[in-house]
Amino acid sequence: MSLKTRLASLQAQTGGGCDSPVPASADLRQRLARIRTQRLSSQSTVTCAPISEAELARRLNGRQIAEGVIHLHRRVPLTGSLSKVPLACLREPARLPGEDQSDGLRQVYIDTETTGLSGGSGTLAFLVGMAVVEDEAVVLSQLLLTRFSGEAALLSAFSMALSPLDRLVSYNGKSYDLPLLMTRFRMQALSPPFAALSHLDLLHPTRRLFARRWPDCRLLTLEERLLGFRRVNDLPGAEAPAAWFDYLRHGRGDKLIQVVKHNRQDILSLVAAHSAVAQAIKQPEAFDVDLVGLARWLAETDEPRARELLLSDADRLCNAGKRLLGHLARRAGDWPLAVGLWEGLAASGCTHSIERLAKYHEHVSKDLAMAKHYCEQLPRNAVQGQRLKRLNEKLCNQAIQQQTIKAQHT
Amino acid sequence: MNTPAESLPSSPKPVPADPAASLAARLRSHYADRITGELFIPTQSGQYRPLPAGLDPRLTAALHRRGITRLYTHQAAAWASVQAGQQTVIVTPTASGKTLCYNLPVLQAALQKQAKALYLFPTKALAQDQVAELTALNQAGALGVRAFTFDGDTPGDARKAVRNRGDIVVSNPDMLHQGILPHHTKWAQFFESLGYVVIDEMHSYRGVFGSHVANVLRRLQRICRFYGSDPLFILCSATIANPAELAAELIGKEVTAITESGAPQGAKHLLLWNPPVVNPDLGIRASARSQTTHITKQAVKSGLKSIVFAQSRLMVEVLTKYLKDAFDRDPRHPARVAAYRGGYLPSERRAMEKRLREGRLDCVVSTSALELGVDIGSLDLCVLNGYPGTIAGTWQRLGRAGRRQRTAVGVLVASSLPLDQYIIRNPDFFLGASPEQARIDPDQLLILLEHIRCAAFELPFLQGEAFGKEALGEILAYLQEQGILHHEGAQWHWMADSYPANNVSLRSVAEGNFLVIDTTAGARTVIAEVDYSSAPMTLYAGAIYMIQSLPYQVERLDWEGRKAFVTRTRADYYTDAIDYTRLKILEDFAQDKQPKHAVAQGEVHLVRRIAGYKKIRYYSHENVGYGKINLPDQEMHTTAVWWQINPEALEAVFPTRQQSLDGFLGAGYALHIIAAMRLLSEPRDIGRAVGDGHAKWFATVGASGRGQLRNPEDEAMDPAQLAHFTPTLFLYDNYPGGIGLSAPLYEKRAAILADAQRLVSACDCAHGCPSCIGPILASDEVRGYSPKRVALRVLSLLADHES
Repeated sequence: MSLKTRLASLQAQTGGGCDSPVPASADLRQRLARIRTQRLSSQSTVTCAPISEAELARRLNGRQIAEGVIHLHRRVPLTGSLSKVPLACLREPARLPGEDQSDGLRQVYIDTETTGLSGGSGTLAFLVGMAVVEDEAVVLSQLLLTRFSGEAALLSAFSMALSPLDRLVSYNGKSYDLPLLMTRFRMQALSPPFAALSHLDLLHPTRRLFARRWPDCRLLTLEERLLGFRRVNDLPGAEAPAAWFDYLRHGRGDKLIQVVKHNRQDILSLVAAHSAVAQAIKQPEAFDVDLVGLARWLAETDEPRARELLLSDADRLCNAGKRLLGHLARRAGDWPLAVGLWEGLAASGCTHSIERLAKYHEHVSKDLAMAKHYCEQLPRNAVQGQRLKRLNEKLCNQAIQQQTIKAQHT
Repeated sequence: MNTPAESLPSSPKPVPADPAASLAARLRSHYADRITGELFIPTQSGQYRPLPAGLDPRLTAALHRRGITRLYTHQAAAWASVQAGQQTVIVTPTASGKTLCYNLPVLQAALQKQAKALYLFPTKALAQDQVAELTALNQAGALGVRAFTFDGDTPGDARKAVRNRGDIVVSNPDMLHQGILPHHTKWAQFFESLGYVVIDEMHSYRGVFGSHVANVLRRLQRICRFYGSDPLFILCSATIANPAELAAELIGKEVTAITESGAPQGAKHLLLWNPPVVNPDLGIRASARSQTTHITKQAVKSGLKSIVFAQSRLMVEVLTKYLKDAFDRDPRHPARVAAYRGGYLPSERRAMEKRLREGRLDCVVSTSALELGVDIGSLDLCVLNGYPGTIAGTWQRLGRAGRRQRTAVGVLVASSLPLDQYIIRNPDFFLGASPEQARIDPDQLLILLEHIRCAAFELPFLQGEAFGKEALGEILAYLQEQGILHHEGAQWHWMADSYPANNVSLRSVAEGNFLVIDTTAGARTVIAEVDYSSAPMTLYAGAIYMIQSLPYQVERLDWEGRKAFVTRTRADYYTDAIDYTRLKILEDFAQDKQPKHAVAQGEVHLVRRIAGYKKIRYYSHENVGYGKINLPDQEMHTTAVWWQINPEALEAVFPTRQQSLDGFLGAGYALHIIAAMRLLSEPRDIGRAVGDGHAKWFATVGASGRGQLRNPEDEAMDPAQLAHFTPTLFLYDNYPGGIGLSAPLYEKRAAILADAQRLVSACDCAHGCPSCIGPILASDEVRGYSPKRVALRVLSLLADHES
C-alpha cells in the first residue's frame, strides 16, 4: 500500500475522531472507493473557467496594487440615504456619551472577512474594508487578498492607510477583527499600526441600548431594527471562507465578488449605525431604546441626565430601572425618592432594596426599629447576623437612654 | 521532592522498633512457603557536592534560607550538564530532589538573562504542586521570578497576565497542544525568550500518549524556530531502561542522561508472594485478592500507612469494599480506607491526596493513577495486587512506599494470570532484570498526520521542511487533495474553516469521554467520567459501575450522546463483560513462508463485539447470571503478526479439526504471554485472536472449555463442516493504526516461539493451566486428549523450519 492509500484508509477508520461508530459491515476498501468517487464528482462540477487575478480586479472595478492584493476604492456621496438614515447626517461626527467632543480624531470604520471563525494562527483576514467620511462622501476602501503570498503587502497597505490621529470604529472588532489582525501582523513579522489607536466597538453601545429589546445584537438585526432595511441577495458571512477557498482552489470568483459586496454593505451599515446610535441616544423614545441601559451608561459620566431620563419614565420602570434610579437618587441626596423606590421594591422581595432600607433607617433616619424590621427580612449570613446584633445593641442602649431621660424628667 | 539535602541526617540502621521491618519479619516467618523471592535494599547514605560556583548569589541566598547548603551529586551533575548546553535527562527515584535539578538552571537564567521557561507535567495536579514549590523558593529569596500555571482551569482574564508576565509557565501537553501552540502569536514574547523546556515524569510519555507528545514537541520547536529561540530541554524520569533514547525520541535531539542518584534512602524490603495452592489437581491457587486483603489488614492494624495497587478500576473497587468492610464499619468515624482511580472527579481526587498527605487516611487502594508523582507523602507498605505488567511500572509503584529513616515494605502478590505466575516462579527474572524500555512511535501515520494538520494551522509548511520521518511532501499533497491545505509557491497553507487541534486528543486515538450521570431519586448529577475506550466494557446497560465501592447500576447508555445513566443499587454482585474479536487480513508487509507454516506481518481490520456480561457474586465469586449487551461493534484498523499452518501438515498431525482448534487457542495463549514479555510492553497493548483471517469465523473458548467456532452473527459453527479450514493465530497491536509493536514482534518471531514452547513444556500442570495454555475445566480430563499436548503440537509445527 502506498503512503497515500494507508493514510486514506486510516483516516476512514478513526480520523477526525469520528463521532458515531462506523457501520460494522462496510468493507474498508469499498468505503475508500466511495470516499474517492465522492471527491471526484465534487471536482467534476467545475464548469466555469477559472478567472485570473487581473480579471477579478477588472470585474470588481479594482486595482492590483501588489502581487496578490486588489485594492477597491469607492466614494458614496452624502447626498443620498441608506434607507431610514439620510447620509447627510454623517456630516456631523457622531459622538457618544463620555466621548471628548474636541479630540479631532478621524473615525476609521473597519470590518474584515476571514477564513474561519475559530481564531488561532491558521485563520487570516482575506478582505479588510475601511471607510472614512470626508469631502461630502463616505470614502470606502477594501483590500482583497487573492493569494497567500500577498498578505504582507495587504497588511502594509492597511498600515499605510492609518495615521496616529485615527480612531477605529468596528462592530465586535475588539474581540474579533483586531486580535485576528494582530495575529496576522505577528505572523508576517510586521508591527501592527493600531496598538496605540483608540477604538470604539459599536457592539458594546448597541448591547447597552438594545440587548433587552432585540432578539440579538448582530449587525443584520441592527440594520433591520435601527436602519430600517433588510439585505437582499446577501451572501451570509459564514459562507465567506468557502468563497475565498473556492477562488484560490478553482479560480471561481462569483461568490468572492459577493463577499466583497457583503463587506462593503457591512461597512456602510457600520458608518450609518454609528450615527444612528448617537441619534437614538438623543431621542431614546423614538428608537425604542432600553432606557435603563442608556441611563446606566449615562450614569458613568452624567448622573443628573441619567436620573432625569429615568424620572421621565418613572411609572413604567422595571425593577432594574427602579434600583438604578434609587441608587442615583441616594447619590444625589434625594432620600424621599430613594426610599419610595426601595419600599416598592422591598415589597416585591428585592433583597438589595431591603438592605438599602435597613442601612437607611439605621444610619440616616435613625429609626432603629424600622432598621431591625428590614434587617430581619434579609437572608441569614455573617454580615446580616452582625448587623442584627449591632441593631439590637443600639436598640438596647436607646431604651436605656430613654429610660434614663425619663427618670431624669420624673 | 524539593528536598533540602542538608537537612537530612544519614539514615540509621533499621531498629527493632521499626514497625515495617517487624511486619516483614512476621510475614517471612509465617508464610515462608508463599514467598518465592525477596530483595533487601539496605539504607543508602547521601552523596553531596557543594553549591555550584557560578550560582547567582540571590539564588544561593534563597537556598540557604530553605536550609540547602549543598547539592546531591545528581543535582550537581545536572547543573553541570545544563550549563554545558546539553539537553539533559535525569533519572532518579521518588523523593530524590529532582525538581532542584531543573529549578536551579531555570531560576538562574530567569534572574540573569530574563529567560523564560515552560514546564510540562502530564497532569494538572502535578503542575499545581510544582508552582507551590517554586513560589516557596521564590519567596525565600525574594527572587521576583513569576511562575504561573496555565491550563484548562486558568480563568480567561488571568490568561493574558500569564502570557505576558510569566517567567515560568507550568502547563501540560494537552494545553500546549490545544491552547498555546495554535495561538502562538499571543505568546510571541514568551517564545522569543524561551530558554528552557522542562518535561517532568517523562516515563509517562510512552505508547500512544508519548507518540502524540513527541509530535507536540516537534510543533513546539517549530514555533520556537519561527521566533528565533532554541530552548534547552531538561527532562526527568522514573527508572526505565532507555531514558536517553526515549528523551531523544521525544525531543528529536541527542540527550545526556544522568542516572546515579546521590540522595539518601531508607532500607526497603521486597517480597514476591504467591497465593497458596487450593486445588493441586487443577493448579488452582487462592486469589491474589484474598492475599492482598490479608496482608493489608495486618499492616493497617499495626499502624502502617499502606497503599494497594490494583490492575483495574473494578479490582480497586472490590478491594476497597473488602478493606472498608474491615475498617470502616462505623459510619460515624472518618473513613480510614479510600479508593483512588481515574474516573473520579478532579475535586474528589485533590481532597483524597490532601487527606493522604496529612496522614488522615490509613490505606488507599489505587490504579496506576497514583503511580505518577502526585505528592501523597511517604507510606510504609505497598502491596501490588497482581504484577503491573512491566518491571518499570512495578518499581514505580513500589517506590510509593519509602521512608528516609525507617524500612519500607513492598509485596508483589501474583494473580493466577500467566504473566504473574511466570514472574513469581522465576523471581530472578524480575529481581535481576533491568527495567523495560519505553517505546514510542512518533511517526505512527495516523498520529503524525493529525499533528501535521495542527502544525500547518500554526505556520505554513515550507518546501523542503521536515516533520517526522515520513515523506512530508507526500503527506502534504494528500492533505491538499483532502482540501485542507493549499500549495502556493514554496509554501503549504492551512485552508479550512476549522481548528484542527480541537479534534485531536493526545490521550487516545478515539474521541470523546462518557459522562456517568446519577439519576437516583430524579437527580441528575455527573459522578464520573469514563474514557471512550473503556466505556463499552464498563458502561453497558445492566453493568454495575462502582464509585468508592458504592455500586451503581447502568440503566441506559446513550452511545451517541456519550452518557450513561445510573442509579444506586444494592446488588450483591459485580459485572464483567465478555468480548469477541474478529480479524480480517488487509495486506502483508512481510512474509516468511516455510514448508509447513507461514508467518506474516501486515495490516488487519478488527471488529470487537461486546456480546454480554457475567454477574459475579461478592466473596464467593460464583457466576450468578448472564446478561446481553447491545452495543455497536468496535472497529479498529491496526497491524498484526499472524501464523498459519498449511492444511496438509495440519491434517497429518491432528485427527480432528476440533483438536487442532484447541491447539491453536492454547498456543495463542502461550505466545501472548511471551510476546508481552519479550516486547517489554503492557500485556493489554497486544491483543490475540484465532480466526480464519477473512472474518468469516473466529474461535473462542466456550462454556465447555473447548474451542468453538462462531460466525459474525455469533452463531456456533462446526469446524468439520467447513470446506476450507485454515486457522490463523493473530497477535495484534491493540491501538488504532498500531503503535509499532507488530514489527519487532515479527522480527523476534523465532525467539518468541521457542520461549512459548519452553513455557508450555516446562509447566508442571498435567493438561494445561492459566500459566501456560490458559485455564481448562475439570471435565477436560475426559476430553480424550490433552489440551496442553495439542497446543505443543501446534507450537512445534509453527517452529518447524526444515522440510
